Amino acid sequence: MKVLILDSSNTDLSVGVSIDNKIIYKMSYEAWQRQSEFMIPEIEKAVKETGIELKDFDEILCGKGPGSYTGIRIALTIAKTISVMSGAKLKLISSLRMFGNREKKFIALINARSARSYIGVYDHDQIILEDTILSNEEVKKYIFEHPDYEVYGDLNYLNLKGKEPMIIEGMLSFSSLIKEEENPMSSKPVYLKD
Amino acid sequence: MEVRYVSNSLEDTKKLALMIGKNLFRGSVISLNGDLGAGKTTFTQSLALSLGIEDKVSSPTFNILKCYFDGSMPFYHIDAYRLEDGTNANIGLEEVIEGDGVCVIEWGQFIKEMVFEPLDIQIKILDNNSREFVITSNFSKYDVIMEDLKEICR
Repeated sequence: MKVLILDSSNTDLSVGVSIDNKIIYKMSYEAWQRQSEFMIPEIEKAVKETGIELKDFDEILCGKGPGSYTGIRIALTIAKTISVMSGAKLKLISSLRMFGNREKKFIALINARSARSYIGVYDHDQIILEDTILSNEEVKKYIFEHPDYEVYGDLNYLNLKGKEPMIIEGMLSFSSLIKEEENPMSSKPVYLKD
Repeated sequence: MEVRYVSNSLEDTKKLALMIGKNLFRGSVISLNGDLGAGKTTFTQSLALSLGIEDKVSSPTFNILKCYFDGSMPFYHIDAYRLEDGTNANIGLEEVIEGDGVCVIEWGQFIKEMVFEPLDIQIKILDNNSREFVITSNFSKYDVIMEDLKEICR
């Protein structure tokens, strides 16, 4: 099965390709506020390098948020378009959950501004805390009370050091736990501030 | 802390903007208020110039947010006037306000909860050519700016 993996829900831009659960192509770099410029060219590059044409992907795996207001919409819009046009299945994965993988117990964090964080807590295949917004004070307390969990994310805003996520690997890792979208045309991002 | 500055000309306003601009840093937020025609846009243009921005800065009343990337750091200009009823306020503005550059916000009272630790600048019209700038800081991160301003303010 050929899967196209896309994410721009935070400050990075990530594009990957997997065949039968094995990553054969991946790139990821910081592209804050320029993701819309680079996403399509990066997909073209992935298509060229892997020799898999867009219409031949069986599945699109895409980050759905929470995260950057514009960022979460860029990858999702492109993923929906490809899915609707090619008939590929669309699966959406939490942009917090993708920070870790199925082997880990982890707390994933993204700065939600106004002294708040997006937080999701996961233990292997289990969701311990569904993605939500907490005050930074509550987040720090949570981290302190759960020392056995690894903490992922760019945590400079909390004056903490978080582990750097492996986005493409993380997304693919959880893919089999996620149901495909029944109607990709109407799939929506998860912003949590709506 | 509060300082006041009277500008009697465009040159005076530029002088003030340059003085503030040279001490701005990534994450600075300026909440700019004043009546129509008080010179908010003129002041913002001078501020942008102090960051080396050569693009023409115009009021983002329609666009809500304009971004300028050709200076020493990103410069974001928000006019929240059209967000008054709050219905369209949730468009991720907080990402540029608490972001990687300088953010100037006009009509910040309409998005109060997003205006993060600002330096407040109020422009009052005295007469045709004269304006009074009231600059208020409640945060120590603007101390360098405020200290510098004491030289030219009263």
